[in-house]
Amino acid sequence: DATQGTSGDCQPCPCPAGATCAVVPKTREVVCTNCPAGTTGKRCELCDDGFFGDPLGQNGPVRVCRACKCSDNIDPNAVGNCNRETGECLKCIYNTDGFFCDRCKEGFYGNALATNPADKCKPCSCSPSGTVGRQTSCSQVTGQCQCLPNVAERDCSACEPGFFNLLSGDGCERCNCNPIGSTN
Amino acid sequence: TRPDVLPLPSGTHLLYAQSGRIEHVPMDGYDMKKDDAKAILHLPEKVIIGVAYDCVEKMVYWTDITTPTISKASIQGGQPTAVIRSDLNSPEGLAIDHLGRTMFWTDSMKDCIEVASLDGSQRRVIVDSDLVNPRAIIADPPNGYLYWADWNRDAPKIETSYMDGSNRRVLVKDDLGLPNGLTYDSQSSMLCWADAGTHKMECMHPDRGDRRQVMEGVQYPFGIVSFGKNIYYTDWKRDAVIAVDRYAGRESDEFQPQKRTKLYGIAIAYAHCPSGQNYCAVN
Repeated sequence: DATQGTSGDCQPCPCPAGATCAVVPKTREVVCTNCPAGTTGKRCELCDDGFFGDPLGQNGPVRVCRACKCSDNIDPNAVGNCNRETGECLKCIYNTDGFFCDRCKEGFYGNALATNPADKCKPCSCSPSGTVGRQTSCSQVTGQCQCLPNVAERDCSACEPGFFNLLSGDGCERCNCNPIGSTN
Repeated sequence: TRPDVLPLPSGTHLLYAQSGRIEHVPMDGYDMKKDDAKAILHLPEKVIIGVAYDCVEKMVYWTDITTPTISKASIQGGQPTAVIRSDLNSPEGLAIDHLGRTMFWTDSMKDCIEVASLDGSQRRVIVDSDLVNPRAIIADPPNGYLYWADWNRDAPKIETSYMDGSNRRVLVKDDLGLPNGLTYDSQSSMLCWADAGTHKMECMHPDRGDRRQVMEGVQYPFGIVSFGKNIYYTDWKRDAVIAVDRYAGRESDEFQPQKRTKLYGIAIAYAHCPSGQNYCAVN
């Protein structure tokens, strides 16, 4: 307030260099109006959408705002791709998941960091009748589903040699063929 | 067929979202009074995506993806009030039926379209299948239609339905890229969109299906709104509001706010509501 005639009438903006500020008429709150590029917030303490960091170091060391780091597994046309402070990725695509979209989401396996989207994360597609508890998830890396006893294949879709009755849902049973009357 | 320029009511404004603010540019006819552009609302912690205007109560509504919420405030001053605060993930596009007193929004994480009364009550999901990246949504209450766009990179599309979600059908699916913005002009009955993938702005009569290009070479459109002979859109590459003369098919003006950061939703705050009766009131 420049009309009071005291030395404290005009105070510097509590904003980073270059930013201007204004007083919200109703609340008398001071808000920065022209935050440096990539930053926003009342005190320019936040990063713009699509960026993350802690530009004023409010929760630790200063981290300048950087573009969301999500392993190339976000879409630049999306909004809100990562948490503006922590950088946690919020909109992973190509069936990826995790803080940095760096692993396959539940029910998928493969290499989330592969360059070609088609090589990234594939569905587990576990065979329900051959999988323990009809689970839909598998090993993140190999894609191996958890098979019932005597069940084979990555997706638990076949009996081991010498076993039959996959559809029982309890694993496969030994054939018990008489060696004398069988061809092999 | 160029319609006559309509007499414009006084006190019309463009509203747009930028970096936790809703700004306004007063309109002088079809010209943006750029020097008078000002923020009407400061919400520094928010990321505001969709903006819509209720001409009856002179309220601006917006979606915020940080909390996430849908809120409103009077453009004549007053506190923002949250109207929807639960069960939202990434609310983006927002449309207001000023006749039916309802709002519609898309949620790009829940992959659905919802409706509620303007006070937030009577909330209901009206579309929840075959949506991947729904964003823009608009309502045409006099004719009883909703229109929305889905920028799904594998199969982008523009769809329509009645305002309860029934009678859903795809209007456009060929030669689309990232149809981010959608607008409906009730004077000419034209549905227009801006595409950040094909870099085109196009229009069609929804019931006739005739599609034509307004212009090409648009850089990165996000929001779009039709106003008389002009279409105004926000652009992510240029960080600007750009005016396009629909009939001349060329850019006629540009407003670049001082702050260089992405601009999102855009809406027109009319001084008076456009004339028209609710489709349901007629039937």
